[in-house]
Amino acid sequence: MRELFFYDAMCAAGMPLHGGNVAATPEALLAEMDYYGIDRALVRHVNLDAAGAVLSNRVLADFLRSDSSGRLRGVWCILPEQCDELPGPDEFFRDMKQNRIGAITLSPFAHRWIPCRETIGKIMDAAAERHIPVLLDAFTGKWNELYNFVRMFPRNITFAMDRSKHGPDRLLRPLLENFENFHYVISCHWVPEGIRDLAERYGAHRLLYGSDYPFFSHGSMMLPLKQSALPEADIARIAGGNLNQLLEEAQL
Amino acid sequence: MSIWEEHPLARAFWNNGSAGIPIYDMHGHMGTLNTIYFARAEAAAMVAHLKRIGVKHLTFSHHYALFEPSFRNSRVHEICREFPDILRMYVAINPHYPDHIREDLAQFDAWAPFAVGLKLLPDYHATPACDPKYEYALAFAEERRLPVLCHTWGHSQNNGFPQLMKIVVKYPHITFFIAHCLFGDWEGAARLVHESPGNVYLELTAVPGERDVLENLTAAVGSERLIFGTDLPWFDEYQAVGGVLSAKITENDMRNIFYANVERILGKEW
Repeated sequence: MRELFFYDAMCAAGMPLHGGNVAATPEALLAEMDYYGIDRALVRHVNLDAAGAVLSNRVLADFLRSDSSGRLRGVWCILPEQCDELPGPDEFFRDMKQNRIGAITLSPFAHRWIPCRETIGKIMDAAAERHIPVLLDAFTGKWNELYNFVRMFPRNITFAMDRSKHGPDRLLRPLLENFENFHYVISCHWVPEGIRDLAERYGAHRLLYGSDYPFFSHGSMMLPLKQSALPEADIARIAGGNLNQLLEEAQL
Repeated sequence: MSIWEEHPLARAFWNNGSAGIPIYDMHGHMGTLNTIYFARAEAAAMVAHLKRIGVKHLTFSHHYALFEPSFRNSRVHEICREFPDILRMYVAINPHYPDHIREDLAQFDAWAPFAVGLKLLPDYHATPACDPKYEYALAFAEERRLPVLCHTWGHSQNNGFPQLMKIVVKYPHITFFIAHCLFGDWEGAARLVHESPGNVYLELTAVPGERDVLENLTAAVGSERLIFGTDLPWFDEYQAVGGVLSAKITENDMRNIFYANVERILGKEW
């Protein structure tokens, strides 16, 4: 087991607005990760949609400060630049580094704004320059919006996922084919031997292990990756190597 | 240590790809479908996938037999004959073609040992599971004590709790496999088990991997009432098996789900 290093690209923790069985502390999340053999995780705040970017970014920073393991990195949420709710890109990225934040996300549909160049062009361009990954979890199931967004920001390193269980190849493959910085998190890619198919066609470097905790179990996609019949080096990249490299390359 | 190192079944699947146990996948399909791309929807590719992980039998209803009335169950029987060691079939029941139902069920015995039971798809056929259009098929299954795999979904108007409750009580000698466990209506699923005359099993397609659901179902009805399924070619066998192994239930529960319950219902050789 320990020959594989798993880095969870899609994971949320904290206290959900409506309650539920979610890791509310780093200790609880790490215990869950240890149960399945997950080494590291990129963590979003589970209550990001309801609490908003300003508050949830602060709460997530506090969450990470109480983690002494060093195995967790955070994801901060951005907002339209015109309302000055968050600092400009340079200061924002500096704060990210100081708070162990490795990537950004956005939640335009819950936070009532339009995801486009006019609203977030400056920070997205700055993120592209600095190779800072952008999680597109808010676009899950919104394929039209996802296509538009990736077309608008093709230089950004983006991570997206599906949650439908309904094999998404017809929707997903055109994005992998046309946008080289687009990455797919396999958390709900339940397609038979589908990980191997995607890796052989688009390259293992385009795929990332992610649990989509707390929606799914951390263990759900570990066995199909391990038994994907891909070369061991490709499995290792998808399990954690790709994400680790992308985060190391980010210039915060 | 993680589950993949500590638990014997999980360790075997992790290290070897199979664990030397039979797996009965009691919910499969075959063939292309309108809304989804399948890379492996034909028998040979599916069988190769099944054999990697050690599935002993896949019992399936062909998509074409469910969605294209001109494609008859006799053709599914021919497919099973090409892979006699592993494929078993449900006779697909389309309630809008009563003549087809009668003709196909008249051949049921001739399709032994491949034909195991019947498959109902009420939502997709826009006909409630308790509709009289199913009576002939269900009476046939009742008389022969056959399994019937019925598609279900929580709060559906065609195959939700009320419709299923009517037929599981009306046909006590049918073994009902409740496909997808009334997904989302977990309380209804438990009620079906507890309020039926002992003839209900919850079939797990789309459940393994969901956090806490399998644990809660096991606590609510007991693992003796759960059976394994994947919807193959929809879902990967390793995902579904991995989802069961990832649940915080006992190894005995997992063995019940993978094979022991089905062997209690159908025997070891079928």
